[in-house]
Amino acid sequence: MNSPLNDRKAALMGMGDSRLRKEDARFIQGKGNYVDDIKMPDMVYMDIVRSPVAHARIKKINKEAALAIPGVLAVLTADDLKPLKLHWMPTLAGDVQAVLADEKVHFQMQEVAVVIATERYIAADGVEAVSVEYEELTAVIDPFKALEKGAPVLREDLAGKTEGAHGKRYHHNHIFTWEAGDKAKADVAFSAAEVTVKQDMFYPRVHPCPLETCGCVASFDPVRGELTTFMTSQAPHVVRTVVSLLSGIAESKIRIVSPDIGGGFGNKVPVYPGYVCAIVASIVLGRPVKWIEDRVENISSTGFARDYHMTGELAATKAGKITGLRVNVIADHGAFDSCADPTKFPAGMFHIVSGSYDIPAAYCRVDGVYTNKAPGGVAYRCSFRVTEAVYLIERMVDVLAQDLKMDKAEIRSKNFIRKEQFPYTSAFGFEYDSGDYQGALDKVLNACDYKGLRVEQAAKRADPNSPTLMGIGLVSFTEVVGAGPSKMCDILGVGMFDSCEIRVHPTGSAIARMGTISTGQAHQTTYAQIIATELGLPSEVIQVEEGDTSTAPYGLGTYGSRSTPVAGAAIAMASRKIHAKAKKIAAHLLEVSENDLEWEIDRFKVKGQDAKFKTMKDIAWAAYNKPPAGMEPGLEAVHYYDPPNFTFPFGIYLCVVDIDKATGETKIRRFYALDDCGTRINPMIIEGQIHGGLTEGFAVAMGQQLTFDAQGNIQGNTLMDYFLPTFVETPKWETDFTVTPSPHHPIGAKGVAESPHVGSIPTFTSAVVDAFSHLGVAHMNMPHNAFRVWQQLQASGVKS
Amino acid sequence: MQVKLEKEYPIPANMDTCWHILCDVEQLAGCMPGAEITERVDEKNYVGLVKVKVGPATAAFTGKIELLGFDEAGKSIRLMGKGADKSGSTASMDLTASVRAGATPGECVLIGTSDVIINGKFAQFGGRMMNSVSDMILQQFADNFSAKAQAVYGQANPASAQAQATAQHPPKVHKGINAFAIMWVVIKDLFSNLFGAKK
Repeated sequence: MNSPLNDRKAALMGMGDSRLRKEDARFIQGKGNYVDDIKMPDMVYMDIVRSPVAHARIKKINKEAALAIPGVLAVLTADDLKPLKLHWMPTLAGDVQAVLADEKVHFQMQEVAVVIATERYIAADGVEAVSVEYEELTAVIDPFKALEKGAPVLREDLAGKTEGAHGKRYHHNHIFTWEAGDKAKADVAFSAAEVTVKQDMFYPRVHPCPLETCGCVASFDPVRGELTTFMTSQAPHVVRTVVSLLSGIAESKIRIVSPDIGGGFGNKVPVYPGYVCAIVASIVLGRPVKWIEDRVENISSTGFARDYHMTGELAATKAGKITGLRVNVIADHGAFDSCADPTKFPAGMFHIVSGSYDIPAAYCRVDGVYTNKAPGGVAYRCSFRVTEAVYLIERMVDVLAQDLKMDKAEIRSKNFIRKEQFPYTSAFGFEYDSGDYQGALDKVLNACDYKGLRVEQAAKRADPNSPTLMGIGLVSFTEVVGAGPSKMCDILGVGMFDSCEIRVHPTGSAIARMGTISTGQAHQTTYAQIIATELGLPSEVIQVEEGDTSTAPYGLGTYGSRSTPVAGAAIAMASRKIHAKAKKIAAHLLEVSENDLEWEIDRFKVKGQDAKFKTMKDIAWAAYNKPPAGMEPGLEAVHYYDPPNFTFPFGIYLCVVDIDKATGETKIRRFYALDDCGTRINPMIIEGQIHGGLTEGFAVAMGQQLTFDAQGNIQGNTLMDYFLPTFVETPKWETDFTVTPSPHHPIGAKGVAESPHVGSIPTFTSAVVDAFSHLGVAHMNMPHNAFRVWQQLQASGVKS
Repeated sequence: MQVKLEKEYPIPANMDTCWHILCDVEQLAGCMPGAEITERVDEKNYVGLVKVKVGPATAAFTGKIELLGFDEAGKSIRLMGKGADKSGSTASMDLTASVRAGATPGECVLIGTSDVIINGKFAQFGGRMMNSVSDMILQQFADNFSAKAQAVYGQANPASAQAQATAQHPPKVHKGINAFAIMWVVIKDLFSNLFGAKK
């Protein structure tokens, strides 16, 4: 391409350009507009009375002392919500959840009553003044104990129900059994196998812990009968539908607005009792009600992630070719099944558990169980339950390699789905779109001098004076993102499409409105780049708006890395509708046939005649000024994109750790992350996403865990205990990439934000375990904090 | 959270004196720092109050104490206390306390075995501190008990060594649970765990 063309292309700052984030100007100046920044006239404040115990019967709630405090306007309990039938609400997973505890509390910090007052501090005083009399019951914290014969009945409201939303319940604390794959075929593979390995592993309960906690400002206008709610939601349109179904208010009279959101990571997908209570309080009082939870409330009561007790088994030949996979999971869902998954998938996309490998026979089974813990099961920076699945298969491949005394890289190469096998249908039925795993692996092994690392490790092991144990972790993961095709995926019956509406203005600027909502991903920057390339308009004059249900087209929101795979496709398709109309206008203006035109960056030109052209800007003016006879004026389009398939981003991660033999401190010496997310829209933003995901992966693997004592007291629900890495702890990240576009996506993009989280967690475990592998250790459960690693050093008899 | 404690404290007073204090639930509760009996329902049932402050968590536990067992011959009693605080903590303590003879007739040993369960804010914030705090509270309890026993024993036996010692150096009586003292114990424990001898 000659230079003027390059200049024109560069001026658009379209796809492939590392343009700076448009959002940052307001964020770094403290000019963002978060829910807690919203102030409305006459606004009042809500605070929540929470249960101090994990399992108890409520004998009495005494409100009088709270109501006597000047400024306290109301105290609401389940009994007050009962006449409205709002004391329980449906969950996304087909269960019901108490909005305010009805007769019983099921987990510590459960919502028992709300206090509304004229000042935030008075509301807190009101909460202190509400006294609740409890009759304590035995709390069940361990899901295996919950399934024992004489275990206490946790959900008395479900007594006698042997059918749940996902089939048969075989025990009063059992929620569902979900199976995928072919059990009989897998069993045959195992009985015929030369080698089998089996490993139990626990993926601990963790919390996404976004910087901004959850909250809302609900404002019901009694005169107009309209409800406006500003809310920390990753899926405002779905919330509007749910609120309409619950309240009976027409969807057209409800406006849900997600303003700037300070991180979501799945934590802001569910509908929480606090939102419902604030809305009810606003309707009752006829005033705007603000509710913002604090950090302890956020960690203790809102959507947790993981808590999977997994057992993996692999069958293989002696040469290391995997012939079968079996997985069993006991999934601790807490007190209510409010897992945020596509409705038909109670274990999400867990059946991606065959990973990047060509495994002919596979079967998995997940059993959901109730315990006296907070409900949740959200997708913490991952597609639904994909983190758990990837962790399991990557650990199992390592376990098999160790059993066979094979190298981790070699066993992976031997089992990869090969480049020429795509599109590849897995034993679980997923159709993988594209990939080149071996190419990516070779690139990483060369970049890190893998052979050299193994030589160094052998030397360290041979040296009794070495102060450290060296471990090398390797992972080759495949994710399934972009939920999803509506033939498979829905939420409460609404297909998981997404949408885009683009309006090109007469002067050649444009606005795009989306069904998604950024929680920090910089949609305003990257979405504009897609339009810039598709329509030849500079991204600087393209505004992107999301999150307001009154202006945006219906969409399912942002989670599960679905924004680019689904909404990004909707943008391209809406742009192409405009492009097609623009071509007709250009032909009219240039007085040629459409067939004589060709598209070039920002203009249609008559083929072979550089001087005869109309830019998109010229065409936009004409669309409003002199469209061809019979054509509607204007230049805009809406597209609802229902993806034909998921997308399958992948990556190869390598990590080197040095473990202090005396203290168990693990130093991350090197972390090399190669990601393939298909077409890259903004490389700088991708790199930022990967850094963020790796840091959260590091947090989970090395320190995060929500623990409970035997009575169900949550331990460590403050940032004093719950590990959020800062720059001090975070290792240096090295990133790399390959590009294998998705063949079914309009621009070939696959999604990226979650890959580094999903992929890095097993890499850390792989590295830490590798440091002990010569001592016969095959697996260690997370988190790999110094104390736990030190315990392993002691158990393995390592002398410092 | 659950803490099981088994402690023995030598008391410089004779067994009878100690046993009498032990049998008197109101006196016994008075030895507990920050605790008092507010109502005697009947011989076996009492209503009481305990005030505690640890760092960000303050609590005033009100609850019931029930005398579950009384063994004159074995010089042993069993108490069950259950309480709750308004701001969201509950506690229960199953305590067996007994006295046995010491090395000399003027000495005895107070033995306590207890099972404490704490729920709510205290258990959330204080998980790591609970063992240190329990140790300290019990030590203060034993000190108060000892002081009371010495005073009673000293009055009854004016010539005894205890009476003279008490007159010169009145034993320290712990009146409330002191947050600074608790923090100090926790910090001391932290350092002794960090730098102390290997177990």
